[in-house]
Amino acid sequence: MRITQSMLANNMLKQITRSYEKLDQYQTQLSTGKKITRPSDDPVVAMKGIAYRSNLAEVEQFKRNFSEAYNWVENSDSALDKATQALQRIRELVVQASNDTYEETQRQSIAKEVRQLTEHLVTIANTKVGDKYIFNGAKTTEPPVTVNPDGTISVSTNSQQLNIELAKGIYIPVNIPPSTAFGAGSGLFSDLQNLAASLENPSTTGNDLTGYLDKLDSHLTNLLGVRAELGARMNRIELMEDRIDSQQVIAEKMLSDNEDVDLEKVITDLKTQESVHRAALAVGARVIQPTLVDFLR
Amino acid sequence: MLSTFHGLEAARRAMMAQQAALYTTGHNIANANTEGYTRQRVQLKATPPFPTPGLNRPNIPGQMGTGVEASSVERVREYFLDIQYRGENSKLGYWEARADAVSKMEDIMNEPSDSGLAKTMDQFWQALQDLSTHPENEGARSVVRQRGLAVVETFHYLSNSLAQIRTDLGTQIGTTVTEINSLLNQISALNERIAEIEPNGYLPNDLYDERDRLIDQLSQYMEIGVEKHPTGGNALPMAEGTYDVYVMNGSAKVYLVQGRTASVVSFSDGSDVDGDGVKEMPPDLGINTLDVSGTTVSFFSLPNGKLRGLIEGYGYQTGTDASGQPIVKGLYPDMLANLDKLAYTFGKVFNDVHQQGYGLNGSTNHPFFGGIGAVSGAANTIKLAADIDDLANIAASTKSGETGNGNNAINLANVRSLLLSNATVSLQDGISVNLASLNLPLSSGTVETNYQGWIGQLGVDGEQANRMKSNSEILRQSVEEKRQSVSSVSLDEEMMNMIKFQHAYNAAARQITVIDEMLDKLINGMGVVGR
Repeated sequence: MRITQSMLANNMLKQITRSYEKLDQYQTQLSTGKKITRPSDDPVVAMKGIAYRSNLAEVEQFKRNFSEAYNWVENSDSALDKATQALQRIRELVVQASNDTYEETQRQSIAKEVRQLTEHLVTIANTKVGDKYIFNGAKTTEPPVTVNPDGTISVSTNSQQLNIELAKGIYIPVNIPPSTAFGAGSGLFSDLQNLAASLENPSTTGNDLTGYLDKLDSHLTNLLGVRAELGARMNRIELMEDRIDSQQVIAEKMLSDNEDVDLEKVITDLKTQESVHRAALAVGARVIQPTLVDFLR
Repeated sequence: MLSTFHGLEAARRAMMAQQAALYTTGHNIANANTEGYTRQRVQLKATPPFPTPGLNRPNIPGQMGTGVEASSVERVREYFLDIQYRGENSKLGYWEARADAVSKMEDIMNEPSDSGLAKTMDQFWQALQDLSTHPENEGARSVVRQRGLAVVETFHYLSNSLAQIRTDLGTQIGTTVTEINSLLNQISALNERIAEIEPNGYLPNDLYDERDRLIDQLSQYMEIGVEKHPTGGNALPMAEGTYDVYVMNGSAKVYLVQGRTASVVSFSDGSDVDGDGVKEMPPDLGINTLDVSGTTVSFFSLPNGKLRGLIEGYGYQTGTDASGQPIVKGLYPDMLANLDKLAYTFGKVFNDVHQQGYGLNGSTNHPFFGGIGAVSGAANTIKLAADIDDLANIAASTKSGETGNGNNAINLANVRSLLLSNATVSLQDGISVNLASLNLPLSSGTVETNYQGWIGQLGVDGEQANRMKSNSEILRQSVEEKRQSVSSVSLDEEMMNMIKFQHAYNAAARQITVIDEMLDKLINGMGVVGR
């Protein structure tokens, strides 16, 4: 083949351009940390990349939902814990008062304490977390327990479950309906109001008061049951969180495996390409050879 | 008898011929870096010897040589390599245009990234999930509205930008057609000059070079064929003649240049923007056929070339649908149509779920998205419904009056993964979507997987275009190298020739001195015996 000067020059230019292209590719990979910057670099990686990102976004969202779920369950549990303590105090008072040795004024003051504790329980039932009443089903903007003008206390019957999606298609109820916690109708509160009234009534005997103990016990058992249920839910949520945590790690790993560069490899490639490029330039300097002209007088 | 001055004449001829060869060497060196230049060689030929046979020939021992003449100046070129080069050049033109169109689309779609449509949609779904945990919260509602707005705006941005690039492609087609027409005119003008010169027995080498260079240029726009026609008169046998340039329309040749006449390429249903009477801008809808001076050429019969690459990006009509509307295909029209389908499907399904839910104020049957009356153009017209200006109308609840009920927000968030192939889909709390009755343009996969599929397809198209582009680039380069190997000027070679011709010239001059001395002897040195 006949080779001329212009062919050498053209070829050299093409090789150096090609070398620059590779340098550019490696430098882009290094500075972005990604194997690809556009779908045509690798369509499969690009397509998977979109899916993995969506997947990761979903898992991250579920992670966010967990803190909401904890918020609900923990606040409900702590409120019901306070309610249990108040009920236990009432029970102690009733046990004291049922001694017939207690005189009227002493029972009067116990009655006062019972009324105070009842009000305390109303506040507990109307616990607000943020701007929500947590014990009123889906009507979170209205208090579940209201004190009527005639002094009676009524409990709402809203029993809608509030679900939070904690994994794809898995909805966990997070709220305790008012009727479950504080008895349907006005259960707990009417019992307490009756109790206070009985304490105030001088004709009440110790025996009459003992009758209230059974009722208080049943309410306490009920509260314990509800708290046990909350505890079980809490456990379930924790287990699910463990699973979502590992899912998140997997999703991040898949995303990274799919599109992140292997830095050691790219740096090595870049270094190799750099030396190749230097060689190409050195060769280029020699392409412009002396011609016959230089040797002719 | 030989003439007394025979030797002088032979030496003079030698000097003239070597001089011509030296001048040509100079021309070659001068054009060593000229694009499209073919090195030239002077054909040296011995002049007819003396005597020629005949009755009155002189009786001398054998024929005597009479010297040399420069019979012609020729190009050193291989026509077959030109054909190969032009073939590869058309392929390169096609794949370059296609790779460029795909690459621009990739820039606009910007996937995979943290700012494409997929990410915007993800954020919208996330906002809905957040709303499901705080349905009574104005802030959560406001975020849903804003993220919804971001989705709508992303659809608009993608649709508008793609349409803009498509318009740019149209302009590029217009420029290309103008360029093609200008090349055709130049080629026919060169044909005319060549046809004037050749019958005189000359070889217009530099005009040949220019014509070949123009045809090389033309070959990147469309795949062409060349026919040679001798010009007659006293044209030399190696004269190239005039070139007819044609494209194939099916099995028929359509001539772009025929001798001195150039055809005009245009779009009969296009428009003329530069006022030269040629409709070089393609029709808005998409290209139907090319018009070559009245002959209709189907765009599909252009196998290669930049023009076809551009047209495939811009869009072309493949016939009419049932209602008589033209069906337009092509890289950009397809993606625009896909976005329309996506926006329409997404908006319709989302609205269907939204309208079944209840807002904070207990109201129901509010659409979330508006502007999706028709599939065509939906990506550009989709907007937030006016109802959503009141944040309380966002239907997070599945029941009226339940402010803390966020179950419908979960349903809305799950529209992303709803299988479009199902006839009906049941969601939480008794809400179900009758997909069959919505008449959606997408009927498989989910909203998300459809989009992923298109991006994948775009990537595959781009990968193929880039690969074919670099392949045809390498092939063209290899042919170009072969061509250069034959035709390009080598300075060393020219130097050698220069010295060769210089020596021959000097020797011929010396020959004259010798003959001069010989004649001097004869004329001045003889017949002086005894004087």
